[in-house]
Amino acid sequence: MTVVVWRTEWLTALRRRRLFLLNTLIPLAFVATIAFSPAPAVHSAAVFTVLFTLFGTFGSSIPLIRDGESGLLRRYILTGVHPAVLLFQHIFATAAIDLIQLTPSIFVLAIARGSSAAQLAMVAPAMVLGMIAANTLGTITAAVAKSVAEGALFSAVAALVLLHLSGAFRTPAPGTWQAVLEAWSPFRPLHESLLAATGAGGPDLETALLTLPIAATLAVLLLVAASGRHAAGLGGR
Amino acid sequence: MFEATELSFTYPSGRRGLLNVSLSGNPGDRVVVMGPNGSGKSTLLRLVSTELRSWAGSLTLFGKESGASLPVQRKRIGIVQDTPVHVEDLTGLENALLFAELYGVGRAVAARAIETLFASLGLDEALHVLTKEYSYGMNKKLLIAEALVHDPEILILDEPALGLDPPSRAALLRILEERSGTGVCTLVATNEPSLAQELATTVVLLDEGEVVAQGSPSELLAKVGGATRIEVHVTGSATSAALAELPEDLVSIRRLPGRIVAESKTGPDALPRLVQAVLAEGFTIERIELREPDLTDVFTLFTGRTLGSKKT
Repeated sequence: MTVVVWRTEWLTALRRRRLFLLNTLIPLAFVATIAFSPAPAVHSAAVFTVLFTLFGTFGSSIPLIRDGESGLLRRYILTGVHPAVLLFQHIFATAAIDLIQLTPSIFVLAIARGSSAAQLAMVAPAMVLGMIAANTLGTITAAVAKSVAEGALFSAVAALVLLHLSGAFRTPAPGTWQAVLEAWSPFRPLHESLLAATGAGGPDLETALLTLPIAATLAVLLLVAASGRHAAGLGGR
Repeated sequence: MFEATELSFTYPSGRRGLLNVSLSGNPGDRVVVMGPNGSGKSTLLRLVSTELRSWAGSLTLFGKESGASLPVQRKRIGIVQDTPVHVEDLTGLENALLFAELYGVGRAVAARAIETLFASLGLDEALHVLTKEYSYGMNKKLLIAEALVHDPEILILDEPALGLDPPSRAALLRILEERSGTGVCTLVATNEPSLAQELATTVVLLDEGEVVAQGSPSELLAKVGGATRIEVHVTGSATSAALAELPEDLVSIRRLPGRIVAESKTGPDALPRLVQAVLAEGFTIERIELREPDLTDVFTLFTGRTLGSKKT
């Protein structure tokens, strides 16, 4: 199987130059405003985590819903290609595009808050994992949404709930059931690494922090694959 | 290639899609389905194309139950849907390559096939144009090229000639006949009687999800007797009963509001006597239309309605 959907995602993203530029500049302007302000690190990190996660979730969900509504997704599926192949290529391509568009924001954040190279080295894998998870979440919300408006609502609510369960909006409570959930959340490394990079310190950032979230993300991707055409939003059609 | 036996389908809303439809398509067959809007044509096509996947009755594709090996069955089918949808920020060539690769055709092989198809359909100058700049007809031709690029064994086309200019329509017919000659089974839904008569080896007339007639175009046309239809559009009212005595060469005469419709065994030869009789009745003739019988008349014969009218 060729990577034809991956290639199409890249081609269309690069051809929509205005949108590509806006997707780079708008988060950059938002991140710069907060990063250069005296906002406390704990709040800044939470806002950045929300921004990056919603960026990934919406960016995956809304185009998929549009392709579903227009009938394009149905045309893809009727070629006999497995829906999981389409979705994986879509998820990884849009996650990669998101990462490129958000890289300037990360650098501005690092400059503004004086992040160390070690902290940035932790942000990088956390961002990769966070964007893959956010784009997967977007794919799942697209599958259950029946319109772009519903998709936006489901994406926002699902992402915010998951971020809350990742500990992005509260102080850590070791030993509780919330702590167990946090350990598996793919958004926790993103939040923790951004917390460190914005100057709040926090727990030691070790690669072990990524292990359980990577396992959780892989498990969700496998579930998406197993859901077949239901995951492409075509279950009942 | 495909065989539907007593095939029924109901939409989740409870609306009937199809009821006990039986038909089949073998290599080289060109099966054309006709019927008014909502008669079940597209539902039938969507079932055979494996898009809709729950039905009652039996539906086999390539000798196996539909859906038994779905990816393989789908790769052997080419589909032209009624509404062309493409990735707007890709060119015609890039779109066609996208679908060719999804069907599993190598890029180099696909590129050669696409060039040939684009040339046959008169789309070669638009090969490198973004599809968002395409007209409806160009998008339709691109859709046809995409459906053919992987050499499908079953070709399913929903209103394929809609939006095509006459040369493109002729090219489409030529391509479909060529493919049919190589053993491709074609299933077409259309409301164009001329397209059906030119293309079909078998015509299926559907009404409210049920088959009302099925056969070759000549078999079906024989059912309406091959009589020429003469429509005399009139004003005024009858002052005599000159039409009461039917001229010999007329099969029937019907008085409808504003017109008198006659069917002639002898074609236009019956016209002078008919005109004489109409004038003798006291009408003023506005215009006269002569039409050879077509498949819409067959539909009217079996349902009592025209192809575009709803049941009352």
